[in-house]
Amino acid sequence: MAFASKKDDEGLSAYYNNKTTVIQEARVFNDSPISPRKCRALLTRIVHLLYVGESFSAQEATTLFFGTTKLFQHKDSALRQMVYLTIKELAGTAEDVIMVTSSIMKDMQPNSEVIYRPNSIRALCRIIDPSMAQGFERFFKAAIVDKTPSISSAALVSSYHLFPNAKDVVKRWANEAQEAVNSKSSTSLFGSSASGGYLTAWGGSAGQQTSGYQAVPSTSYITQYHALGLLYLIRQQDRMAITKMIQQLGGGKTGAGTTLKNPMALCMLIRYAAKVLEEDPNVQKQMLDLLDGWLKHKSDMVNLEAARVICEIKNVPTFQLMRAIGVLQLFLSSPKATLRFAATRILAALAVTHPSNVASVNVDLENLIGDANRSVATYAITTLLKTGNEASVDRLMKQISGFMSDISDEFKVIVVDAIRSLCLKFPDKHAAMLSFLSGVLRDEGGYDFKRAVVEAIFEMVKFISACKEQALSHLCEFIEDCEFTKLSVRILHLLGIEGPKAPQPTKYIRFIYNRVVLENATVRAAAVGSLAKFGLNSNDSGLKKSINTLLNRCLDDVDDEVRDRAAMYLRMFKECLLADAYVKEESVFSLDVLESKLVSYVNDPSASATPFDASSIPKISRAQAAADSARPSSLETVGFPSKKEVTPTPQLSAVETQSAFIQQLKEVPELATYGEVLGSSKPAQLTESETEYQVTCVKHIFAEHVVFQFNVSNTIPDTVLEQVAVVMQLSAETSLTEDFIIPLPSLSAATSPGIVYVSFTRDSPEEYASGSFQCVLKFVSKEVDPSTGEPEEDGYEDEYQLEEVELGAGDYIIPTYVTFSSEWDRLRGGASATETFSLSAMESLKAACDSIIEILNMQALGGTEDPASTTVHTLQLAGMVVGAGGSGKALVRCRMTHSKTQGVTLELSVRAEKEGACGLIVSAIGG
Amino acid sequence: MPWYTPLFQWLSGLFFTKTADISIVGLQASGKTSFVNVIGSGQWSEEVVPTVGFNVRNVRKGNITLKIWDIAGALTRQFQPIRSLGLSLSTGQPKFRSTWERYCSGVDVIIFIVDSHDKEKFDAARFELHQLLSYQTLAAVPLLVLGNKNDLQDHATVNELIKALELDKIRSRAVSCYSCSMKSQHNLDIVLQWLTKHSH
Repeated sequence: MAFASKKDDEGLSAYYNNKTTVIQEARVFNDSPISPRKCRALLTRIVHLLYVGESFSAQEATTLFFGTTKLFQHKDSALRQMVYLTIKELAGTAEDVIMVTSSIMKDMQPNSEVIYRPNSIRALCRIIDPSMAQGFERFFKAAIVDKTPSISSAALVSSYHLFPNAKDVVKRWANEAQEAVNSKSSTSLFGSSASGGYLTAWGGSAGQQTSGYQAVPSTSYITQYHALGLLYLIRQQDRMAITKMIQQLGGGKTGAGTTLKNPMALCMLIRYAAKVLEEDPNVQKQMLDLLDGWLKHKSDMVNLEAARVICEIKNVPTFQLMRAIGVLQLFLSSPKATLRFAATRILAALAVTHPSNVASVNVDLENLIGDANRSVATYAITTLLKTGNEASVDRLMKQISGFMSDISDEFKVIVVDAIRSLCLKFPDKHAAMLSFLSGVLRDEGGYDFKRAVVEAIFEMVKFISACKEQALSHLCEFIEDCEFTKLSVRILHLLGIEGPKAPQPTKYIRFIYNRVVLENATVRAAAVGSLAKFGLNSNDSGLKKSINTLLNRCLDDVDDEVRDRAAMYLRMFKECLLADAYVKEESVFSLDVLESKLVSYVNDPSASATPFDASSIPKISRAQAAADSARPSSLETVGFPSKKEVTPTPQLSAVETQSAFIQQLKEVPELATYGEVLGSSKPAQLTESETEYQVTCVKHIFAEHVVFQFNVSNTIPDTVLEQVAVVMQLSAETSLTEDFIIPLPSLSAATSPGIVYVSFTRDSPEEYASGSFQCVLKFVSKEVDPSTGEPEEDGYEDEYQLEEVELGAGDYIIPTYVTFSSEWDRLRGGASATETFSLSAMESLKAACDSIIEILNMQALGGTEDPASTTVHTLQLAGMVVGAGGSGKALVRCRMTHSKTQGVTLELSVRAEKEGACGLIVSAIGG
Repeated sequence: MPWYTPLFQWLSGLFFTKTADISIVGLQASGKTSFVNVIGSGQWSEEVVPTVGFNVRNVRKGNITLKIWDIAGALTRQFQPIRSLGLSLSTGQPKFRSTWERYCSGVDVIIFIVDSHDKEKFDAARFELHQLLSYQTLAAVPLLVLGNKNDLQDHATVNELIKALELDKIRSRAVSCYSCSMKSQHNLDIVLQWLTKHSH
C-alpha cells in the first residue's frame, strides 16, 4: 500500500512539483470570465506543492495569495472552498493577508450559505491578528453554539488556534464551548431549517439561483471533541475546574450518564483524567472509578484508552490493573489488526513495570507470534521476552530472527532494546543473544537501528565479561564496513580501552590500522588514538615497536588532526611521564566547575593576561563522571516508544551546588571586593526539619575572609519576619573578627528561603582559623492581615536559638581526585607529617574511615573508604587545601589497625604541597 | 409580468449582456463602499463600516454585469477610529499603494473616488492617483474620477477637481470626471452610461 502511493507520488510530481510553472499559470486567476475548472486545478496544485514541502518565498506567496483572492465570491462552490483552503495554506508566508478580512467576513455571516461558513471561519483565524479577536467575539460566540456541526466545529477549532495569542478574549467563550459539549445535536434529520439562515439567495440583485441547505445532524458528534479540547485549553491552569469537568462529563460511576457521545471526546477526557490523577492523588479513587466504568464502554477506542491509562498509573491497585489487562486480553484475539496492535503495544509497555501481571496473558501473546501483521508480532515477542523465563528465550529469538528483515527500523530498535535488557536479565544466554545482535548488525538498517545494536553490544561488554572478546571481534568486523562515522569512532574508542586488556591484543590492531588506511579523517584520528593506547598500555616491547612503526606512518597523513595525534602519542612512547598523565590517568576534571571557572575567566578581561589555571579545578574519577552522566538504566526504559520524557530530578552533586553558591555570592555587592571564593561547604542543618523556622548554613572561605551564609525559611504562612539577622557568638578565642551582618529586610512564607550573610575577617590569613559559634536568629515578627495581605503595624521582637556552627579543617579542604601512588611519590620532598593516634572510641575500621573522611572533607581514593579486612586497613585520601597564597594538594595515608581491646589505632601520614596544610590536617584529627 | 418575461430576459442576457471588471479606489472615507451599495442595491446608509482589505461584488444593471472590486482606502486594523487613520493617509503608505495596483491590474475600468467636500485631502488624493497611474501594468486603462458628496455645501466643482487632481496632465488613456452624490444619487445615471460604454 505504502509502496503504491509512493509510486503514485512520483508520477504526479513530474507534473505537479514545479513551482515555476504554477506561478506562471497563476495568470488564469486574472482571466475574465473565470474558468472554475482551470482555477480549481491550479489551486489544487498549489496546495499539493505546499503539502509535499515546497516552500514559496514571501513574494511568490503574496502574488499567489492575491491572485487567489480574485476568485472570491465565485458561484462555483467547489472553487470557493478550494480558494479558502489555499488562503489558509498561504496565509503563513504571504504578506498583507489582512487584506482579505472583509471578504472572508462576508462569507461568515449567518445569512451566508452553510457550505461556505466553516471554510471561511477556519480561514479567518489564520488571517487575523490576535488583537482583532475581540472584534469577532460576538460572531464567534454565535458560531460556536450554531446548530450545524460543521460550523460549530470550525468555530471551536479556530478558537483553539487563536487561544495562544488571544487568551483573554477566548477565555470568555468558555460558556459557549460548554454548551457545545452538552448539545445533543437537537436537529433531527427531518428538522426544519426554518431559521431561514440556511435558506439564502446569494448574488444580491442577480438572485436567480437559490440553493437551499439543510443542517444535517452529525452522527459522529465530533463537535463535542473539539469543544472539549477548547474547554480544557481554557481551564487547564485550574485543576479544580478540570476535575469538576471530568466528573460532570464522566457521567457517574457507570459512565452511563455521560453526555459525551463521541468516542474521541471520551478518549480525550480519559487523558485529562490521567493527568489530574497524576497531579492530585486525592482524587485517585473517583478517577479510578470513572476509568473502570470506561473499560466497559461500547467503543473499542474508549476501552483501549482507559486500559492504557490504568496501565500507566504508578502503583495502581492490582485488581484494577488486572481488570484492564482482562480487557486488553479480549482485544488480543480481535479480528481487527489495529485493536491487536494497540493491545499488544500497551502490554509491551506494561511488561516493563509489571511483568508478572502481564504474564497472565502469555498464552494469548504466544498465538500472536505468528501474526500476519509484523508489528503486532514484534510487540508480542518483545513482551514475551520480558515476561517469559529463561527456557523460552531461545525459541523466541529464533522466531524473531525469522522476520527481522520484514519489519521497519523503528521496530527493529524495539526488538534490539528488548534483547539488550534480556542480556542483563539472563547473562547465561549471552552467546545466543550476541550472535543474534551480530547477525542483525550485518543487516541493512539506518543509523538509529545500528546505534541501538552497537549500544546493546557495548552494554554486554561492560556487564558480561565472559562475552567481551567475542563482542569486540564482532564490533571489529562491523567497523570494517560501517557507513556511520559516529559509530566507528565510538567503537574505536571502546577498542582502545578494552582491547589492551584482552588476552591477545594484537588481533585487533589489524582492524584498527585498516581504518587508518581506508576511512575519513575523523575515523582515522580516532583509530590513531586507539592504536596508541594499545602500545602504551602494553608491556610487550615487540608490540610497542610495531605500534611505533604504524604511528610513524600516520605522520604523513593529509589531515592535521591525525598527524597531531600521531606525533603526540609518539612523544609519549618516549616519555613515560606524559603517558601516565594523558593515557593512564583515571581522573577527569569536574566539568561543572571547569565550566563555571572558564566562563568567569572569559568574562573577566583583566584575567586574560595570565594563562588559565586548571590546577584549582577539582578532579573526579572516571567512574564518578560516568555515574553523574548516567542515563536511566536500560532495564527501565526499554521496549516501547515512551511519550513521556523521563524528567530526571537533578541530584545536585557537590560541585554543582558549589557553582550555584558562587553565583549567589557574586550578586551581593558587599562581598564583591573579597575576591574569589576558595571553597564552600555543603549546607548544614541548624534546625530540626519540621520547625517553624528552618535554617541551613553554608560556609564560604575567601582569601582574607570567612562568610557564613544562612538560608532562612519561614514556614508560617500568615506572619512576616522583618529585620531577620543571625547573631554569632564565638565560643573561644580565634583569629576571626566580625565585619558585618547583612540582614533580610522581610521574609514571608512565599519569599522563603531568604539569605542572611555574616562576614568575618581572617586576622592572619595564613592560619586556618577554627572554632565553634553560638548562633541566634533574631527578627521582628508581624502578623499578616488575611483580608488585605498587608502585615500589621506592630510586631514583636523574637529570638530563636540555632544549633552551633563549627568552622573546622574540612572547610578549608576541597575533595579532589588524583592517582594516589604516583602523586604520593611526587610529594615525597614536600611538607610531610606523621603522627599516631589511638581512637579508642571507634568500634570498627569502617566507622573510623567514615569519621576521618567527614572531618577532613577529602576524597577517598581507589575504594579505600570500605575496609576489606576488619583488623588492618589503609585509607588513602586526597584534597586541595585552599589558602591565601593559592591552593595546594594534600594527600593523606591512614594506616589503621583494629583490635577489640584497644579500638582503632591510626598512623596518619600527610604529604602536602604547602607547609601549613600538614599542620591543619594533623590538628584536625588530634584536636 | 407575463410568464415568458424571465425567459426573455435570460435569452437577451445571453446575447446582449456586456460585462465589466471595475476597481474602485480612493482615499479613506471617500464613499467607495457606498458607491457599490448604491449601484448594487440602491441603498444608501449613513453608517458604513470601513472596509478591511477589499470586497468583491457582482452587480447586474440592465444588460450589463459589473464585477466590482471595492478596495479599502487604507490597510487598516478594523474597529479603529477612522479619524486617527485619516492623518496618516496623506503620507501615502507604500503598503496600501501596492495593494491598489494588485487589484487594478486586469480590470476594464478604474474608478477613483474623491470626497469633493474635503479639499484638504486633494493633495494626498492627487499624489496617490498619479502614483497609481504610473504603473506600467495599468497603462491605457480608462479612468473615471468621481467627486463624491456634492450634496454638501462648499464642494469642489468638476473644474476645480480637474485642476486640483491635475487630470489634464494624464495622457494616453480615457479620463472622465463627474461630480456626483451617493446620498442623493445625483448623476449616477451618467456614471452608469459611462460604464456601459467602456464595458465589453
